[in-house]
Parts: sequence; C-alpha cells; structure tokens
Amino acid sequence: MSELLQDPFVQSSILPLLVGLVLVGVLHLLRRPLAAAGIAAGFLAVFALVVGLPALPPPSSMGKLFWASAAGLLLGIVADTAGVRGRAASALLAVWLAASLLWIALPALDSLAAAVSVVLLLAAAMWVAFGRGSQTQGSERGESPTAPAASLLALALAVGGTALIGSSASIAQMALALAASAGGFLLWNWPVERHGWGLSGQVATGIAVLLAGVLTLFTQAQTAVLLLALPALLAGHLRRFLPQGHGLVGRAASTAAVTVVAVLPALVAIGAAYALTDGEASPY
Amino acid sequence: MKKTLFAAALFVATATGAVSPAFAAPVSYKIDPAHTAVAFIVNHVGFSNVIGRFNTVGGDVVFDKDAVEKSTVTVSIDTTSVDTNHAKRDEHLRSPDFFNAKEFPKMTFKSTKIEKTGEKTGKLHGDLTMLGVTKPVVLDVTFNKDGVSPASKMETAGFSARGTVKRTEFGMKYGAPAIGDDIQLLIEVEAVKS
Repeated sequence: MSELLQDPFVQSSILPLLVGLVLVGVLHLLRRPLAAAGIAAGFLAVFALVVGLPALPPPSSMGKLFWASAAGLLLGIVADTAGVRGRAASALLAVWLAASLLWIALPALDSLAAAVSVVLLLAAAMWVAFGRGSQTQGSERGESPTAPAASLLALALAVGGTALIGSSASIAQMALALAASAGGFLLWNWPVERHGWGLSGQVATGIAVLLAGVLTLFTQAQTAVLLLALPALLAGHLRRFLPQGHGLVGRAASTAAVTVVAVLPALVAIGAAYALTDGEASPY
Repeated sequence: MKKTLFAAALFVATATGAVSPAFAAPVSYKIDPAHTAVAFIVNHVGFSNVIGRFNTVGGDVVFDKDAVEKSTVTVSIDTTSVDTNHAKRDEHLRSPDFFNAKEFPKMTFKSTKIEKTGEKTGKLHGDLTMLGVTKPVVLDVTFNKDGVSPASKMETAGFSARGTVKRTEFGMKYGAPAIGDDIQLLIEVEAVKS
C-alpha cells in the first residue's frame, strides 16, 4: 500500500481524485453550500500526504504555498458561511491572493524580469478575483459550478504540464493533484449540477495562480506559455455560446462541452511548453 | 646576574616565537577552490549511484596543528553550481524539488567541535544548513599534509572528509526513498595560508 502511495502517478492523479471525491462528498452531506471547499481541502490533504506538512514558519516557497492555501481555504469557508458575496467576496479574494503572491515572491524579486513576472501574476490573480461574477452567474441557478471548476481544472493542468516539461516534478505533482481534486468536484456535479461555487471554490483557482507563481519565480520552466492558458478563465462567458442541452443527457453534454472548451487553452499552453523544449519531454 | 640574563633571553625568545612548537598559534587558511572538491553520491532507484559535485566552494580553515581540537572550519557552497554531468538533471536539481537554488543559493557548514581519533584522523562535528534548515552532522576527517606546496610555493594544508547525511531531514523529500535519502559526501580540501 505504501509503495502504491509513493508512485508519482498515483500521487498526482488517483489519490487526489479520490480524496477530492470523498471530501466533496463529506461536505455535500454535512454542509452542502461548502462542497466546493473540498477541492482546496483535497489539495492540502494530498500535499501533506505526499510532501509532508511544511514547517511553520515555512522556510521555502512550497511551504509558503501550503500555508497560504490553508489560509485561503479558511477564508473561503468563513466567507461562504457568513454569506459574503459579490464585490466584498472578490475584494477578500484579491487581498488574500495578492498578499500570498507577494509573500511567496519576495525572495525572488531580484531582477526586472522577476518584477514583470510578479506584475503579470498579480494581474492574473485580479482576473481570478474580480472576473468571478461572470464565471458563476451563467446558469439559471445563479451560481453554476461547472465553468469555474473547469477553468480551475484547465489552469491546474497547464501549470502541471508546464512544470513536468520544465523539470519541476513536485510542482507538477501538486498542480496535477489540484486538477484531479477539481475533477472530483466536477464528477459530483455531472451530469446534474448539485453545488454552488462560492469563495471556497474560487480560492482553489487562486491556488493554481500561486502554483504558477512558484513555478515562474523559482524554476527555469517556460512559464510564459501559461499566458496561453488564461482564456480558460472565459469558460463562463463561452458557456452562453454553447448549445444548452435539455433533459439529463442534454445537460450532461452541455457540462462536458464547457469542460472540454475550458481545457483547450491549457492543452495549447502545454503544447507550446513542449515545443520550446525542442520536444524533449523526458529530461533524463 | 647569569640567572637574570637567562630569564631575559627566555622572555625574548618566547615573545618572538623562537620557542616552539609548544606555543604554536592557530593559522588561518582560505580554501583553495582550484584544489577543493565537494562531491556527493546518491542512489538512483536502486539501479546505480549518481555522482555529482558542487563547482563553487569557498571558506576558511583555522588550523591549530598542535591542538587540532581548537581548529575550526567554515564552508560555503554555491548550490547553483551543482553538476552531475547532465544539464537537464542539473536544472532539476536546482529546482524546488531538490536544492531550490533560487531561494537557497548557499549551503553552509560551520564546525562546532573536532575530536581527534588518531594521529591524522578525527571527527569533525558541525552544523550543515541546507534549504534553510540547520542540522548537526559528523564527518570523518583525515589530515593529509601541511607545508609549503611545491606548486604554489605557499603554505598549504590538505584534508579529506567523508560522511553521510539524510536529505529528507533538511526537507529535501522529493523522490525519496527511490532516489536515495542517504547522501554520501566526499570532500577534498586544500587550504592556503591567508
């Protein structure tokens, strides 16, 4: 069993998918409006299982990523429980994301290139924070979870794939674990959407941005390609242009279509990262 | 009168260092990077042992030949200089998976105690700081030789050290235990009187 858990493929796919499925399921039973918190909780659980619980205060960027994510999850749960919505929720998310990014980036801010990277990451963070309304208000129910969850899945896949190609396996593992955890949530909401997204869900998208930050600032991976994945955040807008199915099969197809459309930019980004390494996928 | 003259002569001889070696002082040396190597061996999934080294190493040695226990060693290693003869692997080793060189560009060793175990051997105790974590380590050290080097014509001292550290204790957990946790260290140092 322990050997199985040490398999990198299991650690970054099956394990987080199962953990995500279980945690979303537990929250579904206990407190349904907080079900989306299961994504970030699943990510943190897999991080602790695979990498170990980081020291506090954390000496490294990966440790900071963990504790910043934990703080974000707590913020999301508290805000969703208190019913914080709209601009106030976006502002909370923006403050948490900006503070976390700067905390992680500070030791790497030693050049103009690093400063430009941080500005771009902050811009992406603000998009995640303030672009949330259009992502979640696309359905008749007012807060469809599929589009934002598909965006998260796509961004996490893009970060994971780019990290894997760029020889940063632990970041790749954690990003793919986040993607798998989002996959667990999506399965719960397919074919029928059962949950809201809320700040707890959007915090998980913020974690994908933080992972991109660590990858950009502390590795030599070709992270410029991640800009190509950003259109995945438009999944909520694109949903309006996709045929809305009726009945169980129609809704299932519609939800699947949104996910596929969201993931396409991520595949483009991964393809670009692969091309930039002259097609050398396995470094050694 | 004779006694007074003898005492004065003894004082002068002592003050000028003519009476030795009982009064030999510790001598400061700088590590000579051209003749210093910090290498490591790590098991790769049970198939082989990968050998690597750090190409940029510096530091100071204060060597007291007559009281080795009083000697001190300080070493600083540039983690970006890791070299396993494979560019892609070295890039990975510099990433947060391993040495996290962007965030932790230096790895340091500071001796805390030296125990003499033989004529030319000893145990070098010290604090190794890697990835922001400081842990005590013990190295088996051999004092090779000191004197004027025929090559550089400078006062030189040479040491060898061997030891093992567990990388996971420093938070370097990626790939362990498939990629070995025990890291064998092979250190060869030449230090030149500063």
